Amino acid sequence: MPRKKPTTRRRNAKRKRRKSTNYRFPWRKILLTLLVVTVGYVAFLDFQVYRQFEGKRWSLPARVYARPLELYAGLTLEPDQFAAELRALGYKFVATARRPGEVSRNASRFQLISRPFVFWDGGEPSRALRASFSTSHLQTLQDDREGNAVALARLDPLEIGSIHTARQEDRILLKLDEVPDTLVRALIAVEDRGFYAHHGISPRAVGRALLVNVQSGRVVQGGSTLTQQLVKNFFLTNQRSLWRKFNEAIMSLLLERRYAKDEILEAYLNEIYLAQDGQRAIHGFGLGSQFLFQRPLQELSTAQMALLVGMVKGPSYYDPRRHPERARERRDLVLQIMQEQDIISQAEYQKARREGLGLVQAAAGTSKSFPAFLDLVRRQLRRDYDESDLVSEGLRIFTTLDPQVQWALQKSLTERIRPLLGQQPELQGAGLVAHSANGEVLALAGGRQSGFAGFNRALDAQRHVGSLIKPAVYLTALEQSGRYNLAARIDDGPLEFEQSGQLWKPENYDREFHGEVMLYQALASSYNVATARLGLELGVNAVIKTLRRLSVDAPLNPYPSLFLGATDLSPLTVTELYLNFASGGFRVPLRSIREVLDAAGQPLQRYELSVERVIEPGPAYLIHRALQMVIEEGTGRALNGRFSSQLGLAGKTGTTNDLRDSWFAGYDGEKLGVIWMGRDDNQPMGLTGGSGAMQVWAGLYAMAGVVSSQPLKPDSVEWYQVDKTSAGLADSGCDNTVQLPFVEAGSKPPKAPCARGGSLRWLPEWLR
Amino acid sequence: MKRLVAVLFVLLGACSTAPQRSLPPVVEGSGSGPLTPGQTVPGDTAPEPLKAPPPAPAATGGAVIALLDRADSYRASGDMSNEAAAIERALRIEPNNARLWSRLAATRLEQGQPRQAEQLALKSNALAAGDKRLQAQNWRLVARARWALDDSAGARAAEKNARALGGS
Repeated sequence: MPRKKPTTRRRNAKRKRRKSTNYRFPWRKILLTLLVVTVGYVAFLDFQVYRQFEGKRWSLPARVYARPLELYAGLTLEPDQFAAELRALGYKFVATARRPGEVSRNASRFQLISRPFVFWDGGEPSRALRASFSTSHLQTLQDDREGNAVALARLDPLEIGSIHTARQEDRILLKLDEVPDTLVRALIAVEDRGFYAHHGISPRAVGRALLVNVQSGRVVQGGSTLTQQLVKNFFLTNQRSLWRKFNEAIMSLLLERRYAKDEILEAYLNEIYLAQDGQRAIHGFGLGSQFLFQRPLQELSTAQMALLVGMVKGPSYYDPRRHPERARERRDLVLQIMQEQDIISQAEYQKARREGLGLVQAAAGTSKSFPAFLDLVRRQLRRDYDESDLVSEGLRIFTTLDPQVQWALQKSLTERIRPLLGQQPELQGAGLVAHSANGEVLALAGGRQSGFAGFNRALDAQRHVGSLIKPAVYLTALEQSGRYNLAARIDDGPLEFEQSGQLWKPENYDREFHGEVMLYQALASSYNVATARLGLELGVNAVIKTLRRLSVDAPLNPYPSLFLGATDLSPLTVTELYLNFASGGFRVPLRSIREVLDAAGQPLQRYELSVERVIEPGPAYLIHRALQMVIEEGTGRALNGRFSSQLGLAGKTGTTNDLRDSWFAGYDGEKLGVIWMGRDDNQPMGLTGGSGAMQVWAGLYAMAGVVSSQPLKPDSVEWYQVDKTSAGLADSGCDNTVQLPFVEAGSKPPKAPCARGGSLRWLPEWLR
Repeated sequence: MKRLVAVLFVLLGACSTAPQRSLPPVVEGSGSGPLTPGQTVPGDTAPEPLKAPPPAPAATGGAVIALLDRADSYRASGDMSNEAAAIERALRIEPNNARLWSRLAATRLEQGQPRQAEQLALKSNALAAGDKRLQAQNWRLVARARWALDDSAGARAAEKNARALGGS
């Protein structure tokens, strides 16, 4: 590269010359560059401030609600259940209810002021109500001011959780005018007295803070303005450095230049970090209030507001659940400042100081209370929504969960399992309750521990169902009404059957054979041999076809042992199967969600009620009667010691080999409950369907309330008396009879020997 | 007047499902002990006190009428979705009221869901035993739904059912 050399030399010479002759330091250029860089940087910060502050400021997790309690005269609800629901909703029990969220109780009479709430079909206003109960029902509902009867009122729904990612921030957004004035003034008095005067930063505030802190001998105030605190929370990392302080100051000034004080204040009230709930960070005073007191901010007492304001300074240091003494001291200091600044009177100050912290035990809406049910909700949501929308768009999900039924289910399950844990530490249980008419899931327990989010047995445990499958066999027979009826005789004598080269010899649970029995008796007493024989007559394929029609889409064992339940189903699938019986022959898809609203309360999606007839009215009525006979005289008859036989309860027990699974599926006139008990490792645990799951079911229904089950007889069906000894049609001459419905066009038994010529058809008392 | 008729209509519906008319067959005599020993009688629990049958539930008609009023006003403004929601709300209160199911069937038909309209009308009929007028009305609904589904044979059968009921 010889050619380049001269050029370089010449340039060097030139430079030397310039340096030596007219060299001047380029102040202007450097200043100009600095200015450009600074202006550019500030513009960049300004853009950041603008972009973050405008439009959507926060991503909000989806919020999930239980069903709202509808109040009307005639509602089945005990006064104590009502009180429990109000307590869960954070209503304050007082002498005289004056504000929304307050209630007074006098024995079975309640006077309350409900909270306003936005539902799918519009807003429900706050109302002053008077409700009086009998022991089991809401008897009258009146407007407390006018005294006139109120036909229907809806309470705000219990929040049961939110759908968020790990370490996500959560908040309830509030507008400035929704925040109590007292709280705002207290916040400004404690954190930034010059807020309305400064331009974002305040040297005076730093000085004053120093003075106050020196005077009181400890750190009472910080020197940062509210604006600076907001900027710190909003845009910057937690790192402490001079550069960050600089950015904070610039951005504070920019924020103040662009936005009004009230906008900044509103953002602050929603942004500020207040507490930690597991993976969820609690931000803003709205959610902070719910988290600590389970009550909207508007309903807080002065002392409670002071506690929240005090926590701003150090959310974990002043955590009132972990450090109640420290938090109380801080609260009292805030109260003192409030009194000094004339935000509250001396009398209010004295009263507030005497108040306890008033925290709720468990944090509200923490996904801790009903994780198994939320799991079901999430699965349904994932079919229709992107996960990213669920955790960021602030959707409001209205579910079907009935807290009363849920509490009853959890309590009953725990009460049955706890005393057995000594002998059976591995014992588990699960349960599902659904509304028979519309398929809404009212309650769900995924294990014996209610608040434990783990393996969801109600949805995912695949277990042998045992005798629970038998109604499908009997229904298949009853649908052939020319051939079978409830009094048809089937043989429960010894049976041998060759199945793919192996000899199958079903046995009864009591190891005995019962000879000829009526079809309904074989189901009611759950005879395996008679059922197997009936199943073989019908064929495995016919029974599988029935199960498929009844929405069982799990893989099924294609061998005759299917008739005795040697096939795996989840409690969820069993619920879907039995809903067909409980709803009078209609397939009702299970639903856990009613509606979804967007963050602004606008309707997005409704999950509609739908039904499909899958069993003709005649056989549907007959199988229901057979399932009632299970309780009347069969394996479920222990329930008669607890419930009146006039309730017409229906159900079926299920027990698997060596007592590995204990099942019960049963329903009243309103809801179906399916209970499973067993061990995750599928080892025997010593309970039958009757001694395990059915007891849980009984406890659940005793607590949640029973509605009598009396479906109307279809025109195609007639009642007859049947002689129990001969299984023939009976009349007044027979003395040991049972009343059974028959499809009028179908087969009927011959006349019984004891019948002496009276009327065979049996008329229910109410028709006589 | 129209509203009064609607109210009476629903009240009659509530009557037709009142518990007195659908009491269960009372098992006579006390000698109807089980013919056969049960298999799974729990031996490890003490007998619980007998739970008395619940008192007859109070009438819930007022709440249902209030919801039907709402449904009517949604209907008047052409909001079928909210109309259906209000009827579903009423059905949660009275799940055995055949008239509510029939009304929901009619709404679904207008929402352009003939399959659901047909099934809901059948559901209404399952609860309408003894009420021939309602049954006939439901069969006419089924017929309209089946025509919409191009099921002409099914539609004619439904019409025939409706006529048979209407004549008596």
